[in-house]
Amino acid sequence: MAKISRRDFIKMGAAGLLATVLTGCQNPRRWVTLEPYVIPPEEQLAGVATWYASTCRQCPAGCGIIVRVMNGRALKIEGNPKHPLNKGKLCARGQAGLQVLYNPDRLPGPVQQTERGSGRFQPISWEEGLNTLYDRLRQAGSGTAIWTGSTTSGHLLDLFERFAAATGAPSPLVFDLYSELNGLAALENADRAFFGQNRLPTYNLEQADVILSFGADFLGPWLSQVRYGMAFGAFRSQSLGKRGYLVQLEPRMSITGAKADWWLPISPGTEALVAQALARIIADGPLGPAEWATKANTLASEIDVSSVAAASGIPVTELEQLAHIFAAATRPLAIPGNALAAQDGQGTAIAAVQALNAIAGADGLALSPDSPATSLLKPQVSPFGDVQALIERMQAGDVQVLLIHGANPVYDLPESARVVDALAHVPFVVSFGPIADETGVQADLVLPDRTYLESWGYDVTSPGFDLPAVGSQQPVVTPVFDAHSTADVLLTVTRGIPTAAAALPWSDEVAFLKEIIPQLGPGAAGGLDTDVLWSRFLQHGGWWPATAPPPAPHTPVLSQSVQAEAPQFQGDEQEYPYFLHLYMSDLLSDGRGADQPWLQGSPDPMTTVAWQTWVEIHPQTAQKLGVKDGDVVHITSPAGEIEAPVYIYPAIRPNTIAVPVGQGHTDYGRYARKRGSNPMDLVGTTSEGLAWATTRVKITPTGKKIAQAGFENKAGVDEGFINEAFPG
Amino acid sequence: MHASRNRTRALATIVGVPLAILAVVAAYFFVSWQVQAAPEQPAPMDHAAMTKKGVSCLFCHSDALKSPAAGIPSVEKCMGCHQTIKTDSPKIEEVAAYWHRQEPIPWARVNQLPRFVYFSHRVHVNAGLNCELCHGDVAQMQAAEPVTKMNMGWCLDCHEQQPDAGQLRDCVICHQ
Repeated sequence: MAKISRRDFIKMGAAGLLATVLTGCQNPRRWVTLEPYVIPPEEQLAGVATWYASTCRQCPAGCGIIVRVMNGRALKIEGNPKHPLNKGKLCARGQAGLQVLYNPDRLPGPVQQTERGSGRFQPISWEEGLNTLYDRLRQAGSGTAIWTGSTTSGHLLDLFERFAAATGAPSPLVFDLYSELNGLAALENADRAFFGQNRLPTYNLEQADVILSFGADFLGPWLSQVRYGMAFGAFRSQSLGKRGYLVQLEPRMSITGAKADWWLPISPGTEALVAQALARIIADGPLGPAEWATKANTLASEIDVSSVAAASGIPVTELEQLAHIFAAATRPLAIPGNALAAQDGQGTAIAAVQALNAIAGADGLALSPDSPATSLLKPQVSPFGDVQALIERMQAGDVQVLLIHGANPVYDLPESARVVDALAHVPFVVSFGPIADETGVQADLVLPDRTYLESWGYDVTSPGFDLPAVGSQQPVVTPVFDAHSTADVLLTVTRGIPTAAAALPWSDEVAFLKEIIPQLGPGAAGGLDTDVLWSRFLQHGGWWPATAPPPAPHTPVLSQSVQAEAPQFQGDEQEYPYFLHLYMSDLLSDGRGADQPWLQGSPDPMTTVAWQTWVEIHPQTAQKLGVKDGDVVHITSPAGEIEAPVYIYPAIRPNTIAVPVGQGHTDYGRYARKRGSNPMDLVGTTSEGLAWATTRVKITPTGKKIAQAGFENKAGVDEGFINEAFPG
Repeated sequence: MHASRNRTRALATIVGVPLAILAVVAAYFFVSWQVQAAPEQPAPMDHAAMTKKGVSCLFCHSDALKSPAAGIPSVEKCMGCHQTIKTDSPKIEEVAAYWHRQEPIPWARVNQLPRFVYFSHRVHVNAGLNCELCHGDVAQMQAAEPVTKMNMGWCLDCHEQQPDAGQLRDCVICHQ
């Protein structure tokens, strides 16, 4: 290469500078554009924000939100200070809701595809979309099936119910991965044994002085993160300077475990055994007040404490210490976590933990308030048996049209559930997803619904605390894309179906809502006539009474000893030496947050990793396998396999590995697609549900290595744990 | 040989250095002229013609009394008058074209304060200040021009002369 002289260098430099300056001059538009409205909304002032109250739909908890809107654009979401559930607080997922609204991958309008799975969508007009749906529904009659999710608005589910009843189709299914990983159906069902009613219990942490949490990640995405976060604050700073004591029993330290006074790395699946052992120790002691011991004698099973110690990996001395802590408390509380809900014999397993509450008089426990009006529907999550039944009906060819709203079964369910195969047997699949997700790509027709910030609706708060509440949902902006409300789509097409038309006489969803909502009567916001009640409902973000109704009596129904057994794990111990611990990502939850870059980019609170899937492995195990941080390993279970980079995590049992759920989308927009892996692929099915908490795996290093997007430096983190927590 | 090269170099220096300085000075004036120039607007908006007909500033920029921002009139507001007034004017036809397409007119912003400055039209207009005090004699301009260099010294010059200058001198008055 020719040598560049100093003179040449200066000349080139000058030429470069000139080129830069000239390029700068060519900027076609130096001025900021001011776009006025074509037709301004009434009472809109330039530069003054308007706040609208609505309800968050990033998870089923239903926090009240207020949205700051400026010149017709939603700019910021905050918690609604008036809403009795979250009282002005909001979690990261709630804040990220703007990216649901403005997601660039939202479908601009209705589309159809001729070859399922191709993802080659042809835009069609709404008229054509509605006509196609109408023709199909009319022909299908009772052969229609409806699959909704845990965040589908109450009014839409209600309309679907009415439609199904009128056409003779089975009741809509309510099931998504969020409800499954929270154990919602199982918790509701199991509590029948305890309360005699099918409702989610609320654990009043603020009233307890000792909490034994059996794997309930209540400061993470379990049930109602915001509310439990507030309750936990109150639990820690009680009157007279008292501070509640939290014991967390779980195989892998969650964010709740990190906050606990005592974290006990219990062997997966032995939570119910430990609960029974504690009851046994209290009965044998006898520990605590006399009536506790009497109740413990009735409820405790004949379980051998030392064998529980061996199975759970918690020494007898520690079990005794735990029982003493529980019995010495005035208002102890035991919380059954979601892992209990994911094993065969889930009802008994949950009851084993609730037995501890029964012994202690169930202080600090309450039942979610009942739906405040019979006209309003509180979605009841379907048990997994119903899901399997629908999949079987689809495979048998009994389903002509499948409508899917608010759920993404192709992603949510593992391959072992054979959803894709079942969809292939359904002649016509319609998705209402605003973004073409994995299920949308398997659909023939996608009629995108509006996102929750553009929609009408209501949500009966569940689990509800203190007050029975109904959150209102109203559009805070005009629709950003040409999406139509699914409720309006349903009301439009049923007009032509004689059997259904009479059951759904409303002109649109607002007419329906205005009919049912005022039946709540005047709540805390007051109002007498229908119009005022309706506008107060929207203005305040919902309906709730001014004062709490007297708590529903809940005498524990448990009267005999609970005999829970250790669950059967899928996979032979010799071939699959490690327990698989799956947990919901704090940010992406069950994967529905993966399309929002704010959530993708927020570091996980325990590992600081973002944008990825990782597998948490104990340092000892990592040493044995010869893997380091970032080494990609192959994880195989009897049901499937995935690949993920190792994250060395000292706060996990050496015989257990943990993987967060939420990544591994094959569709669902640019931010979610082809990122990480979906650990649900490792999960098999059992007679009662998905074995996401009872699966064993094996690990093989692949020799590949990838960089991890994390914030921390882990130098020196491992040493103490290898020696102290898990000797040998 | 040496002598001629030296001469060339000296000539280059005598001519080149002043040229370079001139270029820098010219560039400075060019940039400041560009900044001060009226931006190109998508449709001609003759402020002088409007005010001559007796239209007050607040008729179009009606939020100035009530809001931090004075506001740009909606296309609907333009057409409120111009569907009957001067409809044959080619300038008005341009505006009407936006209305028929139901599109907002992408006006170019004339005056812009940095993001870290809080300014409220409402406070100033209600204190009795005239629009011209800051915006210049817009009534004489065809297209609005940025006549005032709206910097901190300029704001403070006026704030200092007010009876409650003590308060108006406070940083958080503008940098909230």
